[in-house]
Amino acid sequence: MSESKVVAMASGAGPQGSIGGGGAAAASQKQTLVEEGTKFKGSLSSSCPIVVRGRIEGDVEAPSLTVSGSGAVHGKVKVGEMRSQGELAGEFDADIVQLSGTVKDNTVIRAKSLEVKLTPPTGKMQVIFGEVQLDVGELNATKPNADDAKNEGGKKNKGGGRPDSVAPPEGGGE
Amino acid sequence: MPDFTPEIILSKIKRGEKVDRADLRGINLAKAALEGASFRRCDFEGANLEGTKLARANLKSANLREAFLTGADLREVNLDNADLEGANLERAILTGANLSRANLEGANLLGANLVGARLSHAQLDLANLGGADLTGAQLTHADLVETYLGGAKLEKADLTNANVSSSNIEEANFTDAILQDTRFCEAQGRGVRFTRASLLRADMSKATLTDSDFTGTDARRVNFSNTKLSGAKLTGAKLFGISPTTDVPENLKVEWIDMSVEGDGSKRVLAADVVNVLIGKGAATATGGGPRANVRYFGRGDVLRNASLQFDEGACVEIESLFEHCTIALGQGTELIVGTEGVLSGCQITGAGNITINGKFIERDSPGITGASQLIVSAGGSLVGAVQQAAEWTRFAFEPGCTLRMKIMQSKSERSGRPQ
Repeated sequence: MSESKVVAMASGAGPQGSIGGGGAAAASQKQTLVEEGTKFKGSLSSSCPIVVRGRIEGDVEAPSLTVSGSGAVHGKVKVGEMRSQGELAGEFDADIVQLSGTVKDNTVIRAKSLEVKLTPPTGKMQVIFGEVQLDVGELNATKPNADDAKNEGGKKNKGGGRPDSVAPPEGGGE
Repeated sequence: MPDFTPEIILSKIKRGEKVDRADLRGINLAKAALEGASFRRCDFEGANLEGTKLARANLKSANLREAFLTGADLREVNLDNADLEGANLERAILTGANLSRANLEGANLLGANLVGARLSHAQLDLANLGGADLTGAQLTHADLVETYLGGAKLEKADLTNANVSSSNIEEANFTDAILQDTRFCEAQGRGVRFTRASLLRADMSKATLTDSDFTGTDARRVNFSNTKLSGAKLTGAKLFGISPTTDVPENLKVEWIDMSVEGDGSKRVLAADVVNVLIGKGAATATGGGPRANVRYFGRGDVLRNASLQFDEGACVEIESLFEHCTIALGQGTELIVGTEGVLSGCQITGAGNITINGKFIERDSPGITGASQLIVSAGGSLVGAVQQAAEWTRFAFEPGCTLRMKIMQSKSERSGRPQ
């Protein structure tokens, strides 16, 4: 394995040379970048948004996680928002998830809101799922209720709370 | 008192020095030439910058509240995260400007030129954008609540996920704009042009859009609840999966609309039936209004128990009923739509159909769904169960707001080729 490299960057500026970035004010402008060709193994906790173009194997905690098409994250992830176009495997807890790319076998995604866009039949697959478990939205909204169709016309749950089993993400906000 | 006089500012800029973080409240720099200058985090509250030349200047995170910027040249200026609340930007030139996350609440942008400007996540509530030119502008996630957009030009603008609720959009031009998931709730607009715009999943509930032009618009899954559409032009509009309006539209100008799932023009509904589609009569709204002989509709109030149903290739099935312990076999490409009031409890679906769940699906035996070509769970839809994918990949779509307790399994025959 090549040497791990994690670089924190000010948005639109050059490398700052440290993981994360100091101070809450600075955190709003910085992101932690795992660049293409970089493989990181271990736990990564950040108060900055994390952008992964390389590969992470391990636990990740951050306000947001963006995995690019060349990126891969394998492990346990707790974030506020997650957008992935790359490869995911492991356990992912997030408030909001936007998904494309590949989701590998034995992956669990728990989210308050999940978005996967439909691609036309002739187009490239938006997302390829292996053996995956999805827990999305309020748990009690999924209980069968025969009266819905007969009387009230099936009232809908509009998302709402995080599943009971999932703790809120830790770490600083943006 | 400002930190610097206008003369000192001009002299510093001439020498190429930065003037970052300075207190410049109330300063008068009207018509000054300050192109490319750096004023990051400066405080310009109440400053007079009328006609000032600030092209390519860096005003990132600057405070420009109540500043007077009428006719200012702000081409390609960086106003990222700047505070422009109540600023007067009438006729300002902001082409290519970066206004991402900027606060423009209550700002006056009457007749401003914002061609190609970046306004993602910007706050524009209560702003005046009357007659402004926003052609090709990026307004994703922007807040435009109660904004005045009368006569504004928004051709090819991207307003994905923007909130335009309660705004005045009379005679605004959204031709070729991207308006996916955009909220137009209670917007007021007569003669709005949405020609060829993509309005996928937009929320137009309670909006007044009389005499508006939806020619060739992709309005699939748009929420038209209580939308006023009288006098609208609708020829070629794609209207699959809309939430119908209760306001019966009159004087529609339409030859045909497209009700195909893919919006490819393959299922045309002619003028005589369009009003029925818009008000949600029969199954036409969700099933695509194709060959009526192939439409199966199970209405609200019906209950089916322990039934085995088979629908052949080409059929369109809409369920607004309660199905309990039923087995449903779908032919290749068969459309199965569980309507917002439909509940499939303890059911199983097999076959290479296209399934859309707007209501509820709960499996009995796992997998509850086997071999579907396409599975969509819309906002408000819920699915509890396992889905075994087709030998060819199953195409999935999940809209924000859906509820899932779902296991996705690989096709038995294709497991070796799946991601592991």
